[in-house]
This record gives sequence, C-alpha cells and structure tokens, in this order.
Amino acid sequence: MSQSKQQVYRLNTGGRIDRSRTLSFTFNGERYQGHPGDTLASALLANGVDIVNRSFKYSRPRGIVAAGAEEPNAIVQLGSSEAGQVPNVRATQQALYDGLTASSTNGWPNVQRDLMGLVGKLGGQFMPPGFYYKTFMAPASMWLTYEKYIRKAAGLGRSPMETDPDSYDHFNQHCDVLVVGAGAAGLAAALAAARSGARVMVADEQEEMGGSLLASRETLEGKPADQWVARVLDELAGYDNVTLLPRTTANGYHDHNFVTLHERRTEHLGDTAPVENGHRQVRARLHRVRAGQVILSTGAHERPLVYAGNDVPGNLLAGAVSTYIRRYGVAPGRKLVLSTSNDYGYRAALDWKEAGCEVVAIVDAREAPTGDWVDAARAQGIKIIAGSAVIEAKGSNRVTGARVAKIDIDAFNVSGPVQELACDTIASSGGYSPVIHLASHTGARPTWRDDILGFVPGLVKGVQACGGANGCYALADVLAEGVEAGIKAAAAMGHAAQTVSLPSAEHLQQGPAVALFQVPHEKPTLRGPKQFVDLQNDVTAAGIELATREGFESIEHIKRYTAMGFGTDQGKLGNINGMAIAARCLNRSIPEVGTTVFRPNYTPVTFGAIVGRHCRDLFDPERYTALHQWHVERGAEFEDVGQWKRPWYYPQKVSGKTETMHEAVARECLAVREKVGILDASTLGKIDIQGPDAREFLARVYTNKWEKLAVGRCRYGLMCKDDGMVTDDGVTGCLADNHFLMTTTTGGAAAILEWLELWHQTEWPELDVYFSSVTDHWATMTVTGPDARKLLGEITDIDLDRDSFKFMDWRSGKVAGVPARVFRISFTGELTFEINVQANYAMHVWQTLFKHGEKYDLTPYGTETMHVLRAEKGFIIVGQETDGSVTPEDLGMHWCVGYDKPYSWIGKRALTRSDTKRENRKQLVGLKPKDPKVVLEEGAQIVFDPKHAIPMPMVGHVTSSYYSPVLESGFALAVVKGGHQKLGETVYLPMADGQTFEAEIVSTIFYDPKGERQNV
Amino acid sequence: MSNAATFDTRTDTAIPVESPLAYSYRNSGAPRAGGASRLQLRERAMQGHLILRGGAIVLDEAVRDVLGLNLPGQPQTLVQDASGERSIQWLSPDEWLVIVPGGEEFPLETKLREHLGSAHFAISDVSGGQTLVELSGEAARELLMKTVIYDVHPSHFPVGKGVTTVFAKATTIIRRPSEDRWELVIRRSFADYCYRWLLDAGAEYNINVQQ
Repeated sequence: MSQSKQQVYRLNTGGRIDRSRTLSFTFNGERYQGHPGDTLASALLANGVDIVNRSFKYSRPRGIVAAGAEEPNAIVQLGSSEAGQVPNVRATQQALYDGLTASSTNGWPNVQRDLMGLVGKLGGQFMPPGFYYKTFMAPASMWLTYEKYIRKAAGLGRSPMETDPDSYDHFNQHCDVLVVGAGAAGLAAALAAARSGARVMVADEQEEMGGSLLASRETLEGKPADQWVARVLDELAGYDNVTLLPRTTANGYHDHNFVTLHERRTEHLGDTAPVENGHRQVRARLHRVRAGQVILSTGAHERPLVYAGNDVPGNLLAGAVSTYIRRYGVAPGRKLVLSTSNDYGYRAALDWKEAGCEVVAIVDAREAPTGDWVDAARAQGIKIIAGSAVIEAKGSNRVTGARVAKIDIDAFNVSGPVQELACDTIASSGGYSPVIHLASHTGARPTWRDDILGFVPGLVKGVQACGGANGCYALADVLAEGVEAGIKAAAAMGHAAQTVSLPSAEHLQQGPAVALFQVPHEKPTLRGPKQFVDLQNDVTAAGIELATREGFESIEHIKRYTAMGFGTDQGKLGNINGMAIAARCLNRSIPEVGTTVFRPNYTPVTFGAIVGRHCRDLFDPERYTALHQWHVERGAEFEDVGQWKRPWYYPQKVSGKTETMHEAVARECLAVREKVGILDASTLGKIDIQGPDAREFLARVYTNKWEKLAVGRCRYGLMCKDDGMVTDDGVTGCLADNHFLMTTTTGGAAAILEWLELWHQTEWPELDVYFSSVTDHWATMTVTGPDARKLLGEITDIDLDRDSFKFMDWRSGKVAGVPARVFRISFTGELTFEINVQANYAMHVWQTLFKHGEKYDLTPYGTETMHVLRAEKGFIIVGQETDGSVTPEDLGMHWCVGYDKPYSWIGKRALTRSDTKRENRKQLVGLKPKDPKVVLEEGAQIVFDPKHAIPMPMVGHVTSSYYSPVLESGFALAVVKGGHQKLGETVYLPMADGQTFEAEIVSTIFYDPKGERQNV
Repeated sequence: MSNAATFDTRTDTAIPVESPLAYSYRNSGAPRAGGASRLQLRERAMQGHLILRGGAIVLDEAVRDVLGLNLPGQPQTLVQDASGERSIQWLSPDEWLVIVPGGEEFPLETKLREHLGSAHFAISDVSGGQTLVELSGEAARELLMKTVIYDVHPSHFPVGKGVTTVFAKATTIIRRPSEDRWELVIRRSFADYCYRWLLDAGAEYNINVQQ
C-alpha cells in the first residue's frame, strides 16, 4: 500500500466537516484521508480520485456525478472482511469512517487499466440496444452459458461468501403523519403536524436532516439556513409524539399508506455493527409504517444535460458541485464551465468562484438570461455565453475541455461556430425533476407540468406532496407548502392546527427556464460521439433514437429495449431526458410518449433488513410437543408436518453403526406387530365441541352418521368440502350427550376449526354448538401392539378388559397417577390405547411408560413407521391418498357415507353429480409389485399398456409406497381409473430411467384383512 | 347442567410437571442480567386457563357470582381482580379467556356450570395448552414493536386492553394489565419459538429471565 494521498481538492474553510480529525480509508487498494462529516464520495473528490468505476456495458471510465441517492456511477463494494462485504453502495450516501475499505464494482483487473474497456471500445459499435435480446436469446439452451460470462463482466458488486455476523430488525410503526424527507418542506410540515399533537414520524435518508438547507447559499431570517434547521430539529426532538429517523430511506410506498423505511443504524460506524454491553447492535432496521397520512417532501433531482462526452469524469450536476463545496468543503476541480438552462444552475458558479476557483464561463442556453443570480454572476465578472451550450466534453479519464457553441433548440441543431474552452470540470443543469418515485409506487400516474418542465406526483388518498417533490422550488414557497401540508395532514387525523410562523426567506427574482434536455451536436445523434442518458445502464441518446426507429413507441417499451432506468438506478437522472429524446424522435410531446413509473425500492435495501430476525432458527416457527426433549435425546430424526417437528424414526446404534432409515423403520414396524410400540400423537388437531346441537352439527359436517354414537364410544369420521372431495378425517369421541372431542389431521387442525366456525356462523347459526381448540392442552401417546394391554395395565386404574373396554371405546381414569382419557382406537391395526393427559404431565407419563415398558421391549416409533403400518391396513392419509379431487367413494369408503341421513351434509349434493358417480374415476387400490423387492416410487404414473406409443394414456399414480417388513415385500396404495373393478389385473409403471415395473391391483388391506388383531 | 363431560386434569400427587417453556430453559437458557437490564421476562406457569363461550349476559351473571368479576363486555378489554391473579379477557363476541391460579380452574368450571344450568354455553379447559409470559422494563414496548404488527403505542393500547394478534410468525394474545407490564399468552407448541424470538430480539436490551 502506498502513502496516503493528499486531499488536494479540500478547501481550507467551509462545509460541515470536522477538519480537526482525520479518518483514513482505502479505495481500490490505495489509502486516502478524509474527515468526519465526509461521504465516501466527497472524500474521494477531495483526494482527486477521478475514476470511480467502469461503465456497465462499454466499460468507460466514470466519475462522481451527483451528491446523493441519484448517483449513477460511484457504486462501490464495501467491506474490509469477507463477512462484511456490502455490494451496491452509493459512495455519495456512505458516510466516511475510519478504516473504511471500498472498491469499484466494475472494472477488471482494475478501473484504471481495464481490459473490458477494450471490449467496450471495440465491441461498443456491436452492442446496440437490444443486443442481449438479439444475441444471446437463441438458442435458448445456451443462455445459461452466456449468462455466467455476462454476469462476470457486468454487475454491481457481489454478495459476501461468509455468514453475516450482524443482526437486523423489523419495527412495526404506526403514526398519524409520516413525513418523508427532512428538507425545508419536510421540516416545516413536521413542525406543523407535531405542534398539533399528532403522532409524527420523520424519515430522512441522509446522515443529517436538513436537505438542501445544509448547503444552501440562501438565508432564513437573515442567518444561514442550517441554523433554522438546528432549531427545528431541537424542537421536534423534544416532542414525545415525534420520532426522528435519520439515515432512513423510505424505499417503498405500498397500498393503504403502508410505507417501508430502511434505517441504517451502524453503517456510518463500520463494516459490521459495533458491540455494546456484550451485544452487537442492530445494524439495520426495516420500519413497517402504517401511516394515517403521508407527506412526500422528497425534494427534486437536478436533471443533467445530455451532451457528447457527458460521462467523462469531471462532468457533474451543478447542484452537486455546490453541495460538495458548501457541505463537504471540497471543490471537485480547478476550472469550471457551467452549462445551464435555468437560473438555479448559476449557484454552482457563484459557489465555485467563492471557493477561490476559476469559472471559465457560464454557458446559458437562453438568449437573454435575467434574474438575481444571473446578475450576481455578472457582478462577479463571470463570463456568460448566452444562447449556447456545452455540446461536447473533451477528455478521456478527466475532462480537459468543453466544446461550446450556439444552439437552436427548436431546430435541434448547432447554429454557430464551436469554440473549445479549457477546463477540468463541467457542471450542467437542465432544471429539476421532482422525486416522484414513492408516489408512483402507489400506481398513481404522475402529471406533466409544462411550467416546471417536470412530472409532479399523482396522488392517492391520504398523501400530499410539497416542496420540490411538488415542483415548487423557491424557498419561501417551499416552506409555506410544507406548513400547509403538515396542518392538513394533522387535521385529517383529528388534530387541530397550531400556528407556525415561517422564517423569512429571501425573495429572489428568477428568469424563466428553457426546455433543454438533449443538446444538439454538429453530427446527427446516431453518428456523433456518445451522449449518455442513463449512465448506470449505459443508455445513450442514439440508443433511444434507434429504439424509436425500430418501432418502439411507448416509453415502457423503449425502456425495456434499451434498459433505461433499470435496476437499482430506477432512472433517477435519466428517465425524463430519455422521454424527452423519445418525444423529439417521435415528434410528440413528453406526456404523449407516456409517463414513467418507478418501482420499489427507491435505493437498494440490504437483504438483512428485509429478512429481519426471520432467519436461521427463527426462519419459521417450529412447533414442539411436550415430549420433544425426549425425542431429541433419543436421537430421533424429525419430519416437518406443517410447522410441527414430529419424530420421523429413531435410528439406533447397532454394533457401532447407526441404523439407516430403512433398518430403523423395519425394526420399529416389527416391534409394533410383535410386541409393543409407542408414538407421540400429540400433534393431531383436537377440537372440543359442546352444545345441545353438537351431534347434529357433526352429522352435517361429516359424511357418516352420528345419531347413535353412545357416550363412551368413538367413531371415525370423513369430512368433505362442498365439492364432495375429502378434506379431513379423524376419530371423534362422544364425551357426553352434548359434548364431543373431534380429532383432525395434524396439518388440517387450524383450517378445520375455521371451517366449522364458518359453517356455524354463516349457514347454521341456529345450531347451539361451540368449538374450541384443545390441541395443545392434551398430549397424546399411542401405545400399540400385542403387549399394549399388559403394559398399560401396570400403570392405570382403568379396567382394560377386552369386553368392558372394547375397540372404539374411551375411558377415563389415571395413568401413571395422572388423570387421563384413554381411547381404544387404532391406526396400526394392532391393539391400541391412545392416552391423553394434560400436556404439563406428559413427560412424566411417557417416562413411566418406558420404565414399565422395558420388559416388553417398548419401542418408540416415528411417523415413517406409522405410515407403513397404516398403509398395510389400507388406512388413508388425507393429503397423501387424497389431493382435493378424491371422493369418499373413490377411496372405497362407501361404508362411511350416509346418503340417507335426515338432514343434508356438506358434499352430499356434489356426490350425486354425474362426474362424481362416473365409473372410470381414479379409485384407490392396493398395488403389489410383481417383484417383492421393488418399492414403487410415490407419484409414479400408472399405465395399462406399456407398449402404447408415447404419449401413453396415464391412468393413475402411486399415492403411498413402502417396504413392509411383515409382508417381506414392497407394497403400495394407488389411484387407478376404474380400479375398483380391476382387482387382479396387472398395471405398469414406466420409470424415467427406462425400466418398467409391473404390479398387480389388489385390495387396499394388505395385513390382517379381518381386523382381528385390533379386537383382541 | 349442560350435559358436558367435565374432567379435572390435575392431580394432587407429587407428580413432576413441565411448563411449556421447560424445554426452552434447558436448551436456550435463561439469561440473567444485572441492573443493566431494560427488559424482564417472567413465565407465570401452571395457571388455570379456561375458554368461556356463550352469550355475554348469562356469562356475565355467572362470573360475577362465582368469580366476583365483571365479564368484559367491550371488545379487546381485560378485567382482573385486585390481586391481579384472576382475569377475564374478551377474545371474540362470544368468547372469553379466564386465567386463575393453577388448581382453581376445575372448581371454577364446576361452579360456573352449576350456575349456568341449562343455558347454552361452553367451557373448555386449556390449561395445559398455553402459558402466560410477563414482559416488563422500559424496553418492553419496543420489543413488542419488533414483534407484533399491532399498534402498541399507549394511545392505542392503554392499560386494560388485550388482543389476539400476529407475534413474529406465530399468534399470541397480548394484554396490558398495568402501566409497566405486558402479558403474552402463548400456545404451548409455539412457546419455544416465541421464547427464542424474545431472547434474540431482547438481547440488545440485556433481557433478564426470571424463573
């Protein structure tokens, strides 16, 4: 690393920087110095760094153009460590801190000697607009190959390859009035709203609030404007009802006055957030603001003039020149030529001169400029060349001169001889474009105003624009508009107006501006040197002209064809100029070409802020049962069922080797079939149903009958949607005449409760019944297998005798000393008791079962074993055998449909449609692979004739498929067209790898078809 | 009687119980911060939680007589007894949450059922399914702002209010029993997620967990 450079362009006085302290930083490997208060951009300019990047497409050297969010070129990669890498940072918005490390995002091997530049120079001619579409889109299969190289050559930085050490937050905010932008208009508005007592939030994207007043040559109450800013901020900070958010960009304006703010809390301090009290501070915050009223006081962006060579480093916006001089104490050059179409631009020349530098000339497009600032320039002895413009900047790595000529704007030509003025800096001003980005996020179309030569925001309900954002630029008027907006917004939220006396501002005479966008050149646009419109996306005036010649007439199409205003730039500097050029080429007015729409986000938002805390182990809720700890300690593998973590299987170590899933499941299956197993079934949805009409309600929502279910008994129920398709199933127990406990599928629990409430509240409010979820209240343990009775008998006072506690009965008593409801139902086909206890006791009961279960070899099993066991019995799983297109009859469950119930039930009518009665519907069958070693793939398509020409008619698919240790064979459930009539027939399953499996259609019940094992 | 099955799920024998946060304390710890803490978290475990459903008028009569509390008739409100140990919260137009000291819920349910007689109502014991978590300290409101989209500003969320709302990506009940105290009623299965969220979001305030 070389010695730190001198800040050769730093002024000795002025600006809001602290010259008593020096900060060092590194840019592209070189060390430099700056001061607190600097942005990275102002520090780079102070050090005379001209080239900050290479352009996107042509790889031309580029310098700093602007001083704020609109900067198109100075986009850097930040970060001294890998984990601290931040791409796509505007150097104009990045506060300088000690040790800051930045590099250009484009340029390889570096910005000074760029190899891609050669490609750009040679290839430039060959890369017209639409180049990517025309060249790389065919053949489509090659795009992935091209893309890698295109992305390597282009791009705005890279993401870090290490885990981000920082944390990010979301903040949900609610306020009466949100003020976006704390310049003159915003501060006036905030003051008016705050004094009325409204809840006010003020967001401003800069390091300091105050906007243009921080660098203005205008005075308020005869004093520098920043003194008024300080006073107002003091007052606002004193109010409880005001939240001030500096370094906070309003990036998106969504429906219903929902605005997202990106607050950068520590990015002015370092690569990563500092640690305070042992905790790393929150680096960035996304404020999700619900605002009653929104005030857009976002100001205006100065529009550059479009002339040849306007991208050579040393071409700046006039306003940026003033900002660098007055706010940062940097004059970004020595000899200035100013090219302007209006009075405002003159301030750059006045500031430049006051900074002690040379103003070569002001080139004014107007024939006879008048106004107070024009007079001031004349009084300073500055040369003014009227009726003219800079038509071309000379120089390659830095401006060396300006070619100036008389122009005829209407005829769009150069009307006089060209003179070349030696200079190192060209400032240009084509007037202002209100910052209407946020307003256009709402979908409201902006309106063109000829008097200000710009679009003002289209407004939706609850939003006002004021000041520059509204096309109002004279300081006194801006303040007045701000106060009015603040009062109106507060009043709309019910807060009475308070008086706000405005500070007195100077009233300056201004001459009218002229509409100049693209400056004519001696050569026609398509032949002349490049005139850049969108510096970030390398879109030229010629490119837009070519697009119009190729038939693109709508600005929306032109934008897409040329890439103007794309990406993170969002056309802040270029869009209006581009529209003006398109309008000229098409011989239309600007509004006729269309209006331009900006999308969120206004400036890039770091992914961290978007994600907030919803990442890593907080990405999504994980729901645990009361027995989770036990499962974890037992080494269970978990399966996600909805948000639940359910034990999937419990691999054991067998002679030093951990079982595979297949081995573990085979062991667990045999344990249940031969001895006794236990499942944590707590996740099943449980709904407590009470009321005299509970039974009637059940009969209407389930397909089967409930009339005769006695207290102490349980019944399986099947639930359809109104389209007759199965949506849920489960066992419901009759606890008392007016009291039932319904169980639902794990994933369906919440939706089914809503479904019941929906039908009760909208269709049958006359039924006296209430529903409450008790899913989490009960823990459910399924003890199943031939030894289940013996095991449970050891720790319960309930009589488990086969004749007094029958299959499908439930009883209450104590299990392991804990009050329990025990249901004798079975999902495995074995003798089963489902023990329900209050969840706080669950761990004790479970552990007691294991204490006593040792001698029975009690085996915990997971969902995979549960699936195999139930499939052996042909029990369906809703969502696996069904997919929203399966009726009870398709499942062969006619026995579970009560067509003759006295009152209609949900799905009944749909089940009488001809389509649901059709005989060749896909029906649930069992499949037995001809080769018992084969386990068919779930989802595999089934055909009747594997020799049929492709495409073969597909007649169904496999819904569940497993290996059965007890059958010693693969087996499957499947839906097959007309399957119920095809028992014994052979079907074929052609696989992607070319082999075809054969299987026989069999009954869905593979094991213990008579159900003897559960009735012991 | 309403012909429903009542069931005392508690046992008086010395059987170990685990609150919904037992797993979380073991796995995520319970940070102790000294005086620097701006946020305190305390679980009030093993309380009795009942869901009452029915018409406001009959339920109001019953809870007045049995519990000595009015049924909160206004939406999103909470009433509590002088000790703060017993509370009733409006949940929906025909639904209230009653929280009482652990063990009181079954006698309360029995008395309410007696009092309500043949009226149409429902009482469901959900004591095992949820837990009460208290937040206090100067940063409590800010922590909630990080977590819930509901407006918790004092002007919008005064003492005595309670709502059911989105909590990060789960759902909780949030209530404000006193000026400096907030309560969350958290579903058992979501408790660990909520707890980890609170620890993470509360880290910058030096969250202190009292057990």
